[in-house]
Order: sequence, then C-alpha cells, then structure tokens
Amino acid sequence: MLTASNIQFRTRNRTILDSTNLEVASGQIIAILGPNGAGKTTLFKLLSGESACSCGVVSYNGMNISKLKAKELAEVRAVMSQHSSVNFPFTVREVVELGLISIQPANSKKIIDEVMALAQIEHLQGQEYYQLSGGEKQRVQLSRVLAQVWERKPYSRYVLLDEPTSSLDIAQQHAVLEILLQLKSRNIGVLVILHDLNLAAQYADNILLLKSGKICYCGPMKGGMDECLLETVFDHPIRLIHCAITNQLIVHSSNKSKMYFSTRMMQ
Amino acid sequence: MIAPTLTFSKQRLSQWVLVSLGAILVGVLLLSLTKGAYPISLSQVIAALVEPLGYHLEAFEVMSANVLLQIRLPRILLAVLVGGGLGIAGAAMQGLFRNPLVEPGLIGVSSGSALFAVVFLVVFPGIASSFPILERVSLPLFSFLGGLISVFAVYHLGANKESENTATIILAGVAINALAGALIGLTLFYADDTALRSFTFWSLGDLSGASWNKLPIAAGLICIPSIVLLRGSKNLNALALGEKEAFYMGVNVNRTKVILLVSTALIVGVAVSLTGMIGFVGLIVPHLMRISFGADHRLVLPGSFLLGAILLNFSDLLARTIAIPAEMPIGVITSLLGAPFFMGLIYNLKK
Repeated sequence: MLTASNIQFRTRNRTILDSTNLEVASGQIIAILGPNGAGKTTLFKLLSGESACSCGVVSYNGMNISKLKAKELAEVRAVMSQHSSVNFPFTVREVVELGLISIQPANSKKIIDEVMALAQIEHLQGQEYYQLSGGEKQRVQLSRVLAQVWERKPYSRYVLLDEPTSSLDIAQQHAVLEILLQLKSRNIGVLVILHDLNLAAQYADNILLLKSGKICYCGPMKGGMDECLLETVFDHPIRLIHCAITNQLIVHSSNKSKMYFSTRMMQ
Repeated sequence: MIAPTLTFSKQRLSQWVLVSLGAILVGVLLLSLTKGAYPISLSQVIAALVEPLGYHLEAFEVMSANVLLQIRLPRILLAVLVGGGLGIAGAAMQGLFRNPLVEPGLIGVSSGSALFAVVFLVVFPGIASSFPILERVSLPLFSFLGGLISVFAVYHLGANKESENTATIILAGVAINALAGALIGLTLFYADDTALRSFTFWSLGDLSGASWNKLPIAAGLICIPSIVLLRGSKNLNALALGEKEAFYMGVNVNRTKVILLVSTALIVGVAVSLTGMIGFVGLIVPHLMRISFGADHRLVLPGSFLLGAILLNFSDLLARTIAIPAEMPIGVITSLLGAPFFMGLIYNLKK
C-alpha cells in the first residue's frame, strides 16, 4: 500500500497542497485529475520522494519514505516524469537499460526486450534518443520505467506517471493505458496524472480530483464522474454521456454554454 | 534475436576499442621515446628499456640510455598520467554537468588549482626548498584544494537543477578564470622567488619538469581518483537523464555528485601542480570518444583516459620536435588543436 497521511506542502507564504490523504493499493489504477495549478505535480513529487512534505507522512508498504534510501525506494516504485531530456548520444536501448541500474535482475536482456516490445519501440532500439519525436521519446521513457518494475517480486510495487500520454496520438494513448492495465496483474499499483477525462473514465479504478491544493473527491471512478462535481473542479461546463455500445462514460466539454444547456434540456 | 547480439556486440566493441587504444598508446610512446633533440633508434630504445629487467638484447650507448631513462621516460610517463587524467576528468565533468562544453580549463578548475599552487610556493617557500619530499606531497594537495573550491563554486554559480545550463556554467567559468588568472599574475609579480616558475609555465603548461621522484605521487593521486570515476560511470549514465530521473532510478545523487566533483578536482589539481595548465585535452578527448563509439560512460571514461594519454604524448612529441633544440609550451599545441574544435562544438550547438 502506498499511503499518504495528512501530507502538506507549503512554501514561505503559500500553501500549495493542503492536508491530503491518499491510498494506492497494488493492482489498482488511480488517476489524478484537476485544472492547471491545482497541485497535481506537487502531490506527485511528494509521493515520489523527490520533495519532502512540510508535514505528514508518505509510506511505501508501511515504510516511511524519509527512511528509505534512493536505491531501496527504486525497488518499490518507478517514476515517469513529464519531461526528460538526454544530452548525450545515448541509443534508445541504452536509455531503457538505465531502468535496471539499481535492480540488477538475472534476466535483464529478456526484460528489456519485453518492455520495448510492449511500448512498441523495438524498431528504434539502435537509434539515438535525442533524434526521436516527442511521442517516441515518451514511449522510450515509459519502457525504461516499466523495466524498473518488470521483474516479478513478492511484494507490492508502484508506478507513478505524470501525464504519460501528453505527446501521443489516440492509438498510442490507449496503448499506454492498456499497458498500465497489465501492470495490475503484476501486483503493481499505478498512480497517473491525466488531463484527458475520457481516458480516466475508461481506465481508472479510482480518481482523485484536486483543486487549489485541496481534494474535492477521492474514491471510485463512478462516484467522481459527476457533472456538477467536475464543473466546479474545472470551472468549465462538462457533460457526461453514457455510451450504450461500449457501456462507458463519454465526457463532453464545450464552451458554448447555450448549446450545452439546450442539450441538457433535451436529455 | 537482434537484441542479444546487439548487447553482445556492444561489449565486444568496448573491449576491442580499449585494446586498440592501448595499442596505439604503446605505439605513440615508443615513437616519443625515439624522437627528440637526441634521436635514438627504436632497437636501441627497446634494448635500453629491457636492460634493467635483466635481458640483454643489443649493445647501446650509455649516453642514450641516460637520456632515455632519466629524461625522456619520466616525461612520457608523466604525459600519460596527466593526459589520461585530464581526459577522464573532462569526460566525468561533462557527464556530471550534463554539458558538452565543460572542461576543467574552461570552467576554471585548472586556474583555481594553479592559483593555489602559486600561492603555496610563495607563502611557504621554506618548505619548498628545505623539505623537497613534503613539497612533493603538499603542493599537489594544496593545488587540489584550489581546484575543489573552484569546482564547487562553478557548480553553485552555474548549475541549475531545472533548466538547461549550457551557457551559465561557461560564464561562471569565465568569471573564475579571470579572477584566478589575475591573482596568479599578481602573486607572481610580487614574488621574487627563483623557485617559482614563470607565468608561461602555469598558463600554458610544461612537461619538462618530470622526474622519477615526482612520478609515484602523481601516479597515486591521479590513478586512485580515476578508478573512483570509473566505478561511478554507471551512475553518470543515469545522471545523463537528469538528477531527478537518476534519483527515481535509485542513484544517491548528492553522494555521487560529491564523489565525482572531489575526484575530478583531485586529478586536475595534481595535474596542474605538476605541469601547469594544459588546456582543451579534457574537452576534445571525451567528444572524440562519444562521436566515435557512443555515449555510454562505461566506455567513454576508460577510453578518454587512454585517448587523453595518446593526445598529450603526441602533442608533447610535437612540442619537443618542432623547434629543436628549443621547446614549445605544450599548451600552445593543445590549444591550437582544441580551440577550433571548441568553436565547432559551439557552432553545432547553435543548430
């Protein structure tokens, strides 16, 4: 269990994240949603161990994060951040192999091949990383992160991703979230920051809605997908449509309030 | 099936590259031993070298043996140590700062070391003249202290965690170089000490001070931190993705940084205290390695040591033989090679 109890983050004169409680169980996908500046990335940094909380405790499988060494932490969680640049001419395969730097599994070649196949980047493996397109880079980073947790372990592990689909086309976005679904069966808990409400509605088990550093909702996806709630969080008209064919929610947002109201009336 | 062969061939390539560089180095060393103001034939060189080991190959003149063993050999070995040290230190610094333009000379580590060496010789002239053994140890260490201060100053001035720091770090280096250069000039101006060498020595480097009694300390103080750097090459690979990512992957970033900064400062400090500031070796060598064989620091670091040794020996060979019997400062040669290279790098960076 990845637990955050009462964590806060304050700068000198401003509270970026008000006291927040959060639990991520293994085998579960939790999506963090919220407008820009809501404190999503701050929460992400606190959970990943990059920043220390002003107060409160983050713990991985019951171990306080501040007591864990970087290497021990790397064994229980992998992190994909939003932007990563590589300044030297490393090849794609070399970048993916870096994910294993503190894991040192027995069958590293097999792991690398598997995660590269999963992210569909095998054909790029000899190329230099910095020549890739934005979407390709994102997939390379994803497979590096996967490599870190790919070897099966008896204990729960966690993957944290900050907008892993921001540079991907629709097919790739779904491919990435399908990969995250696969992680569930490997005793891995997934926490992912998403901007696309539709993706969250389709793949997340739980969602956490964040606004101005406060949690507006944290719980099962179904309960959080509420028009009024989403409208207050995003300050934007949002409408949910139930798709009869796929039995899924479709999130519709439009700025044309008239049209929005008329459609609502029609329903 | 492509992948295993790819990794396999990569390891093979690394070994092959290092062995070839080693062979080239031996070739350059033998060539350097034969050439100079007093030419000695290769067979004579080999005969003189193996004679102390108990093999008698060929008769040789005592004169040539003396030139070879007392003057040329220590100088060449010093060039191996200093060139290799500067090469590996440059590679490690570029990796640590994630900046391809960084070099011990450009970011002011060399000039900081030189300043402290000069100050040491001026403030403690008594030690230098009366306890030569103490001087041999404490001069490099004092010089190391100067390098250490500069490298941490540059790090705090120039390195910015979040954004790209290509320019700021070079500017920080310019500032430190200017300050240290002025202070060296000032110290030398007021010091009327014959033990103190000329400004040319400190600013352009000189290998002619090599002697057998300086070599063991140089070897220890350059090889040990070089081994530390080699052991850190895996972490340098992780740092190439950024400090944050390296932490996520399980690298103790702060500890790694301190170890690498101290090791590079030690190598540079010792090298400068022995031979003055020799510029651009630490810039050219790691680049040549990366361009030719990829960015993996597990190959770039040892390769840079060997290539640095080759380059400096080759430059020294030129410096000794271009204007026989006079000698050109070695920094003239390395800067002539390095400055256009640096311009090329900046030009490419712009694109």
